[in-house]
Amino acid sequence: MKVLVPVKRVIDYNVKVRVKADQTGVELANVKMSMNPFDEISIEEAIRLKEAGHAEEVIAVSVGVQQCQETIRTALAMGADRGIHVVHDGDIEPLVVAKILKELVDKEGPSIVIVGKQAIDDDSNQTGQMLAALLGWGQATFVSKVEIEGDSIKATREVDGGLETISVMLPAVLTTDLRLNEPRYASLPNIMKAKKKPIEQFTPVELGVDPSCRIEILKVAEPPTREAGVKVSDVGELVDKLRNTAKVI
Amino acid sequence: MAIPNVNAAELQTYKLTTAQKDAVDQIKSLVGPRGYVSKTEEMEPHLVDWRGVYKGNAELVCYPINTREVSDIVKICSAAVMPIVPQGGNTSMCGGSVPLKNSASIILNFSRMNQIRCFDKNNYTMTVEAGCVLQKLQQTASDADRYFPLSLAAEGSCMIGGNLATNAGGTNVLRYGNARELVLGLEVVLPDGQILSGLNALRKDNTGYDLKNLFLGSEGTLGIITAAVLKLFPKPRGIYAAYCAVSSISAAIELLDRARKESGDCVETFELISRLVMDLVLKHIPNCQDPLEERYDHYVLLELVSTAENDQELYNRFERILEGGMEDGLILDAALAQSEVQRQAFWSLRENATESQKLEGASIKHDIAVPVSAIPSFYEAAWQAILEVEPKARLIAFGHAGDGNLHFNVAEPANGKTQDFIDNWGRINTAVHRTVQIFGGSISAEHGIGQLKRDELTHYKPAVALDLMQKIKSAIDPNSIMNPGKVI
Repeated sequence: MKVLVPVKRVIDYNVKVRVKADQTGVELANVKMSMNPFDEISIEEAIRLKEAGHAEEVIAVSVGVQQCQETIRTALAMGADRGIHVVHDGDIEPLVVAKILKELVDKEGPSIVIVGKQAIDDDSNQTGQMLAALLGWGQATFVSKVEIEGDSIKATREVDGGLETISVMLPAVLTTDLRLNEPRYASLPNIMKAKKKPIEQFTPVELGVDPSCRIEILKVAEPPTREAGVKVSDVGELVDKLRNTAKVI
Repeated sequence: MAIPNVNAAELQTYKLTTAQKDAVDQIKSLVGPRGYVSKTEEMEPHLVDWRGVYKGNAELVCYPINTREVSDIVKICSAAVMPIVPQGGNTSMCGGSVPLKNSASIILNFSRMNQIRCFDKNNYTMTVEAGCVLQKLQQTASDADRYFPLSLAAEGSCMIGGNLATNAGGTNVLRYGNARELVLGLEVVLPDGQILSGLNALRKDNTGYDLKNLFLGSEGTLGIITAAVLKLFPKPRGIYAAYCAVSSISAAIELLDRARKESGDCVETFELISRLVMDLVLKHIPNCQDPLEERYDHYVLLELVSTAENDQELYNRFERILEGGMEDGLILDAALAQSEVQRQAFWSLRENATESQKLEGASIKHDIAVPVSAIPSFYEAAWQAILEVEPKARLIAFGHAGDGNLHFNVAEPANGKTQDFIDNWGRINTAVHRTVQIFGGSISAEHGIGQLKRDELTHYKPAVALDLMQKIKSAIDPNSIMNPGKVI
């Protein structure tokens, strides 16, 4: 079976994100970009399914600007077999990505789509669920363990207060949580091999998807900075501050 | 060489002179109740060194707030012949920042003198006080689109005053030089309390003896560095990192040469890491991962750095260097960082080398330098010399191979008795240091001398040099009150 894995190009996890002076978004110029960490986990899981003999082919997909090819190359260097780049400049919403992925699923016929549970730039946490709905497939979200059992998947999910184990019929959409695995590094020999792996290109329109945004961003602002604390000299002052300054009692 | 051991003996008592007692009282009233601590439990962290090897005595730990106050304290101490120990983050590897046992002293801790006095972006300089934590200075430079390259494992707690006083090295010496080379001017309080104001922000200044270089590397034995003008550089934008398994130490040195030549001299990092270091880090430090699938004997952390944006050309050269190295058998396998997170994960393997050693048990440390070309033969010869003393010793070798500096440390045998191993301390030191001498090297590349290597130094430094050092010391600090018992 085939496994399809979307990989998003986002601001590197270790970069301090800054809001643009005009508050239209965050600063992207000269900022280090990398693969969304949850997508690295998705790619790793897909490769492990292949190594375990469950999958024959892993396809990495990225939607966005030209440099998304670098993100796809990283996925290929980790061990994905080929890439698909859906070229689009400018903002793109989870629903549009889900529609694009649906078209690619129809084209490629994978049995599993492994999606990062969210991207660390917009934290939407929507694409996987929307895709499952559009496809009419079952879904296992926030998974921390995946076992293939015949024509279904036993998935352990990270839920509030513990773990939940569910079984979903194939084909299915999985969304990955942090504890699922530890992604491998891209080795030099694999980076060299990845250069020869094919990357197909499409535009959203070629796939029959309208990429325009439905949501208009009015303003992006920094969270309020935390004010410095004060020392109180006695319990009386503390109670007074809590009541009259903080207004919490 | 004596084996330091904190718990070995009860600390003996000593007596203060009347003048010293008066000096303590004068200093207390000078700095006020917030400017000092004198209770044993409050002074404790300042009296014991980072490695837990040395513990000394002090009457007071003072926290001066400005240079004037330092000067006033030193004047009082000078008059009373009261020893002074300057202290920054107290991260010395050689017991240089803690007082001696059984003698009176005042510790001057610089944590309250932590202001950046001036940041001159276009002059590529910043003027900073001694108590600035190194990491804060790196961050300040970075926030202003500049780069302060001094970088070492203790950067989160060590202070610039100590870095300069010990002429610290670290991971960026290959490209930017050590601490000494990053300084344009210094402000120093002399042992008589006078202030030597030399905060020049000049790259060219040939007006007589270069006095600042007397204090850089003096470890507080000639005066107290209170502020400095530091050089800044353009901020790196593209950093390409690889964690390479190399086929041998000489292959590593060959790779360094190729990387320097073929990258356009953009090699910023070239750190050698031995297998045992990897094993200890993976064993003791949580969330660390071996970047490669197989086990290898020697690794190199290589970084090429560009100040240009999206330097695709340099990245291509980086890949070609690695590919070529692999084709020619220098590199056996390599992982390339695909994100900043992965790059920092490489670094955490290197930077936790010291911490993981501490968690593993006793180790005997050597901070040596030899010419880069001599590293492979030195490595082999020194290892053989150690094995002759302790056949089951484990070698923890890592360090800045790019600048010739290795931390050639020896861990106790896996199932041996710690005391048997410690008993060999002196013999192992001698084995390594004699080998260093044969290869024209240094027994202290970047950690300084402190208390740890003071006696050892007399065996390896030429008599004429030691004599000249002593004459300088006597001329500047005739009463020997500055950080006594260190260096000379």
